[in-house]
Amino acid sequence: MGRKAQKNDSLPGSLDMLILRTLSLRDLHGYGIVQFIQQWSNDELLVEEGSLYPALQRLELNGWIEGVWGVTSNNRRARIYKIMGTGRKQLAVETRKYAKLTLAIARVMGAE
Amino acid sequence: MFRRLRYWIENHRRSEALREEMELHLAEKAAELEADGMTAALAQAEARRRFGNVGLKQEESREIWMTRFLSELGQDVRYGFRSMAANKAFSALAVLLLGLGIGANTAVYSFMESILLRSLPVADPESLVVFNWRSRPPQNANKEWVHVMHGVQGLAWPGDKGIMVSGMFPYGAFDTLRKENPVFSTLFGYFNGLHRTLAVRGQATSASTEYVTGEYFRGLAVSPAAGRLIDPEDDRPSAEPVAVISFATSQQRFGGLANAIGQPIFVDNIPFTVIGVAPPEFFGVDPAVAPDLYLPLHTNLLTDGARANRMYADGNFYWIEMMGRLRPGVSMAQAQAALAPRFHQWVATTATTDGERAKLPALILNPGAEGLGSLRRQYSKPIYVLLMMVGLILAIACANIANLLLARGAARRREMAIRLSLGAGRFRVVRQLLTESVMLSSLGGACGVLLAIWGVRSLTLLLSHGQENFTLHAELNWNVLGVTAALSVVCGLLFGLAPAIQSTRPDVMPALKNGRGGGPRHHAQHVLVVAQIAMSFLILVAAGLFVRTLNKLHSVQLGYARENILLFSLNARQAGHRDPEMTTFYAHLRKRFESIPGVSSATLSQSSIINAARAGQAIRGPMKIGAVNLDGARVLAAGPRFLTTMQIPILAGREIDDRDQQGSPPVAVISERLARTYFGNEHPVGRRITLPDEKRDLEIVGVSANLRYGGLKNEEESAMTVFVAVSQFSPDRMTYALRTAGDPLSYVKSVREIVREADSRIPVTNVVTQAAEIDGTISREVTFAKLCTGFAVLALLIACVGLYGTMSYSVARQVGDIGIRMALGAQPGAVVWMVLRRVLLLAAVGLAISVPAALIASRLGKSFLFETRPNDPGTLALAGVVLLSAMILAGYVPARRASRIDPLVALRHD
Repeated sequence: MGRKAQKNDSLPGSLDMLILRTLSLRDLHGYGIVQFIQQWSNDELLVEEGSLYPALQRLELNGWIEGVWGVTSNNRRARIYKIMGTGRKQLAVETRKYAKLTLAIARVMGAE
Repeated sequence: MFRRLRYWIENHRRSEALREEMELHLAEKAAELEADGMTAALAQAEARRRFGNVGLKQEESREIWMTRFLSELGQDVRYGFRSMAANKAFSALAVLLLGLGIGANTAVYSFMESILLRSLPVADPESLVVFNWRSRPPQNANKEWVHVMHGVQGLAWPGDKGIMVSGMFPYGAFDTLRKENPVFSTLFGYFNGLHRTLAVRGQATSASTEYVTGEYFRGLAVSPAAGRLIDPEDDRPSAEPVAVISFATSQQRFGGLANAIGQPIFVDNIPFTVIGVAPPEFFGVDPAVAPDLYLPLHTNLLTDGARANRMYADGNFYWIEMMGRLRPGVSMAQAQAALAPRFHQWVATTATTDGERAKLPALILNPGAEGLGSLRRQYSKPIYVLLMMVGLILAIACANIANLLLARGAARRREMAIRLSLGAGRFRVVRQLLTESVMLSSLGGACGVLLAIWGVRSLTLLLSHGQENFTLHAELNWNVLGVTAALSVVCGLLFGLAPAIQSTRPDVMPALKNGRGGGPRHHAQHVLVVAQIAMSFLILVAAGLFVRTLNKLHSVQLGYARENILLFSLNARQAGHRDPEMTTFYAHLRKRFESIPGVSSATLSQSSIINAARAGQAIRGPMKIGAVNLDGARVLAAGPRFLTTMQIPILAGREIDDRDQQGSPPVAVISERLARTYFGNEHPVGRRITLPDEKRDLEIVGVSANLRYGGLKNEEESAMTVFVAVSQFSPDRMTYALRTAGDPLSYVKSVREIVREADSRIPVTNVVTQAAEIDGTISREVTFAKLCTGFAVLALLIACVGLYGTMSYSVARQVGDIGIRMALGAQPGAVVWMVLRRVLLLAAVGLAISVPAALIASRLGKSFLFETRPNDPGTLALAGVVLLSAMILAGYVPARRASRIDPLVALRHD
């Protein structure tokens, strides 16, 4: 595919953060999350679709998100995930960490 | 953690949800791609491709909430069930075999535990100690009795090398030992009063009675179920006569605990008052006795009269048993060291001659926790033999399971090879196989539990053989069950592991190519089959020997009638009758019985002939003819018409009849053997036998044919018999014998009627036919022969199954080979022979191993045999023939199948 570099595994754990971020904006089902990330990153970030579901299970087990059965925009039964309070806190933590990390990388990259 | 657990429980539902979610995802992706212009099929494929391995992703997701181990275990178990269902015959067989092995073992071990190892149901049984003594053999070189023990009421049994061991003591010893005792907190005595007549509200029955000292219940630390128990105040010569009854007696005779307290009862016609009821689980100190009635020791002065009075004072009469409870911190060795000298000192004062002084009894203490060992002595050896047999059966069953697993492991090589080549981990495959073996073993264990429960019940039934008061109640021993079950699981693991590892070797190619799988010959299987054959042979030989013993016992020449005779016992003395009235009472009753329609003759004697050796001696001291001691002659006190009723031919003179009264000259009838031995060709009638101790002579009035006096196993000397007249030697208890037309038991009603009319206080006891009485004496042999035959059939069956399995497998493996032979012109007969030859070879090797083993092992069972040598060649040969035929039968089926192989089909097979 030639776009492997953009897979989320370049930054370990960033998929969890992206999912939490997405769900903090709106409740979505699995495929919706993939599409959302793809669109908002202007097709730059491609979620490895297979990894999404294990990640969702992990987040749910941690109690950060919760899936309930609902209906999609084209009327199909699907599990709609929404973020929980602890999930928002986790998102804040991860965001801070991410900000620190990118800043650090930017410094290194910008050094003369 | 809790969430994880909940998820795990909801596993199935969650997996479904996950699958649906992923499908939705794929569908939407495909729809999107289709919208971009792909064809529907292409879009779906592309969607799937981008998603990756759906199954794997599901697995990964599941793993988030479940540990991998658990999920795989679930799979293994499910798969195991499927493969078991696919091989129903194999699985059922394996489970059944294991079940039989485990069940039989547990049942027999449970029995052994309850006989050999069970503790008395009292508080702190470990601190109880039983008193015994031992001394050098009592008889001197001339077979004369020289010992301080002049008389004994109870048991003395031979130890090693003729040493005499007993638990009976004179009262004086008890009195001396219990005084100011530094090592025992209590020391109590008791003696078995045997069966007494117990009358409650006018209803008389026979009750097993124990006479106990005042410290008995306190020493055993037993609390009453109701009322109070006997205390030292009750055990004085002049005390109010009181009684404690067993829990069962309170239920049966009084209809409840509360109804019994304070009630008057009559024991041997002496009034007693019930003061308490023993707890339900209490069976006294000897599991074989289990008294219905406990009386204070000194009340035997009332029930036994003058005889009892003598017993207390006589230092040479041994009759009381003792137990003690150690003080805390005192060991048994310390107690023995403290008391042995005191006993020695006392017993030395009772010796009157140097001969007696030379072999004084020495005190020994034994652990009392297990109670007294009369049952133990009687049954421990048979139980050990049984134990060995069931042990062998379990071994055969395990060998068989191993064999089946090996064969199946080999048959599944191809399956395993496929799995391995598809990327399954080796460990994973091995684990799968192990799960299956363990499942099989567990099911077998479950099956074994059921069989064990059933087995314990039927064993109790077999061993008690109808004795109403058989008190040995074995309970299923869960520890034993655990051990045998663990053994079978370990066996499953072990023998499951070997083929599992073998069949998962990395080089899968040969197995795949081989199709039906040639592979190396499985020597392990052959070894197992040989082992099974060898062990089955051992059990067969044992069964053969016991059955032969039983046949010999059945064919023993009794010399008297066995059929159509009714036996029952009466004890008029216990109802208050005394001589001389008692003798007339008994004689009168005999005439009444003889007048019952259908009874052709009636007689009475001190005991039945078969149990005569166990009844007390009618004559005290030696018998002499002139100056010659009458050696080895047995005495039976018999009434009129005894020889007629028992159909013993009268060879000369007359039998004892109504002429022989109390006042008339004492008479005797002797057996032919006795006449020949002591009178040669002279005519014995009219000669005399002198009784120096009784100070009277017996005139010989007749000669009878020989008969077997006492049990069936007695030696030939028992044919020397002296019959004396019951009226002249009046025993207390009388056994009547009625010769009847038709079923003897149909006359019981008339008999009871007559006795009730004569004296309603006398219970009719030991009602039995002569045939049943005789069979009762060999019940142990009957039980043994039955059990062993059962075990032998079982062992043979298992071994046959094992052989059949092995041969079937090896035929299946050789289909191609046999096909080629047939195509080249081999006859079916030759093919059958080819297979059978191997069967015979295996059997021959098995026999070669087990014949010497059988020769050695059968010696262990020697004491159970009767007129049968342990290495009886006939039995060995028969066992061999049975085994060989069974093996050939088991091998013939697969052999025949081999001979019917169609060469064309066989060759196309690979």
